[in-house]
Amino acid sequence: MITNKKNYKKDSFGRVTCVCLMLVVAIAIMSIVALGIGSAGYSPKEIIDALISDEHSTIKVVVTHLRLPRVLLALLVGAALSIAGALLQSVMGNPLADPGSIGVSAGAGTAAITILLLFPHLSASVPLFAFAGAALACVLIFIMAYDGGISAIRIILSGVAINSVLGAYNSFLQLLHSDDLSSVLAFMNGSLSGRSWSQVYIAAAYGSVGLVLAFCCIKTANLLLLGEDMAKSLGVNVTKSRILLSAVSAFLAAATVTVVGMVGFVGLIVPHISRLVIGSDYKALLPVCTLMGALVVLVADTVGRTIIPGMEVPVGIVMALVGGPFFLYMLKKKGKVYGG
Amino acid sequence: MIVEGSNVQIAYGENIVVDGIDIEVRKGEITTIIGPNGSGKSTVLKALTRLLDYKVGSICVDDTEIRKIDSKELAKKMGVLPQRHQAPPDFKVKDLVSFGRMPYQKWFKGSSDEDKEIVQWAMEQAGVLDLQNKSIQTCSGGQAQRVWIATVLAQKPEIMFLDEPTTYLDVAYQLETMRLVKRLNRESGIGIVMVLHDLSHALEVSDRIVILKDGVKYDEGAPKDVVTPTMMQDVYGVSCNIVFLEGRENPIIVYDEI
Repeated sequence: MITNKKNYKKDSFGRVTCVCLMLVVAIAIMSIVALGIGSAGYSPKEIIDALISDEHSTIKVVVTHLRLPRVLLALLVGAALSIAGALLQSVMGNPLADPGSIGVSAGAGTAAITILLLFPHLSASVPLFAFAGAALACVLIFIMAYDGGISAIRIILSGVAINSVLGAYNSFLQLLHSDDLSSVLAFMNGSLSGRSWSQVYIAAAYGSVGLVLAFCCIKTANLLLLGEDMAKSLGVNVTKSRILLSAVSAFLAAATVTVVGMVGFVGLIVPHISRLVIGSDYKALLPVCTLMGALVVLVADTVGRTIIPGMEVPVGIVMALVGGPFFLYMLKKKGKVYGG
Repeated sequence: MIVEGSNVQIAYGENIVVDGIDIEVRKGEITTIIGPNGSGKSTVLKALTRLLDYKVGSICVDDTEIRKIDSKELAKKMGVLPQRHQAPPDFKVKDLVSFGRMPYQKWFKGSSDEDKEIVQWAMEQAGVLDLQNKSIQTCSGGQAQRVWIATVLAQKPEIMFLDEPTTYLDVAYQLETMRLVKRLNRESGIGIVMVLHDLSHALEVSDRIVILKDGVKYDEGAPKDVVTPTMMQDVYGVSCNIVFLEGRENPIIVYDEI
């Protein structure tokens, strides 16, 4: 029995490590591809040569100033949104939860649209306002959901209410300013184009803090999967845990929204794919989810910027376009693995 | 350990479900709460385990008001198998049972050697040791119920509360679960408090039965003293005979012909 036990542990640990290693390799390959393709194409050898040499070549400028920050940002955004989704799915005990359901997107959207359309001279501070808007909408939803404790269904319902009101406001404002929507559309559809190193630093700073917080939540996330009563009887403060996990999730999602705008479906789809690959245990799920999210968004962005020559399809649109049908496919194929 | 509720009133919002109940459950004893649907059985069980707060009266664990006890300390003294529980179907039996050690662990620490030993012990007690590497979705209904009982056992509680542990199980699994519960009580002296619908099970395994009707206590005592034709008529509106058979300690209920 003892040897059995050890083997089992090794197997399960080995599987996670193995999947993670494969994802890292996939990310590395995809990154080199993404650095190479675009309006000017470079081979991996050219890229590496350019990066190593001290010469100031065009390749070096394009790769280090345009493509590399974009690749890194795609990885960071993907990782952050996926973790945000995975944590929320534990809080809600529902596989359909994503950062949108706690008002992060709508709140950030409202703030951004208001600034872009009504106070265009403040456009430079849109990220700051979007972050505040996301946080505010999220807090509002939790205040409305609070009733001595916080149940998932109350969060979802107040989320629907807030999202609908903010959505109406957003649409109305866009109608009023229908001639001047390019900046708004770029924000609403989440785009990674024209991002620079400073935005990578911001995303990396927020992202790493969020990541550490998220990995501290693994045990709690697992316990919440057992249902409210069972978690409570195991000594968990369910209300506090739900708020904590949601806050970490909202923080991660809001941080990405401020940098790249709204990218949907990542937080919904990636945790699902990861669950199919590695199972529901957050100890394994969270690391896989992090890497899987990074990979998925990098692929989506690379496809988006190369599929139509001379035109960029925002990553948000690619995700929604591919994500929707993919979601249906998974729903049909594997009904029994659920989110929480 | 004794959990003692006196004059307990419990309400969902304005709706008073249980009104002024005195109830006492203790280590070493099997106490079963019975009563018709809506009589407040599960509500009382939830209040005794602090899953639900009460409006009036007091519930004390060894003379300390239950509200004042730290959640983890409480979880070390009492284990609860709620009526509604769930786990992702791909969770391994062993991992699920390990959750029972949560009250003993810091949030950043994994299982200690002692934790692992106790998890093994709990699985052995509940007879699920050979299932430990299987996922919960591959277990039968009866096996799954034993896995959950093992999870609660891993908490090393002095009293274990089970809310309708046999509902949804077929008769073989029902008996299996009852047998397990009784054996745990007799062998390790763990206190058992159950809500049961099946009166014949209640008669067989209980040391004491508490009967609820419309949110108040109708009677309590040893099974053969309180389960009587009069009680059945008063509480359930059912006429029946209580028959003692030779060679059986507890009587059986024979309902009138339908």
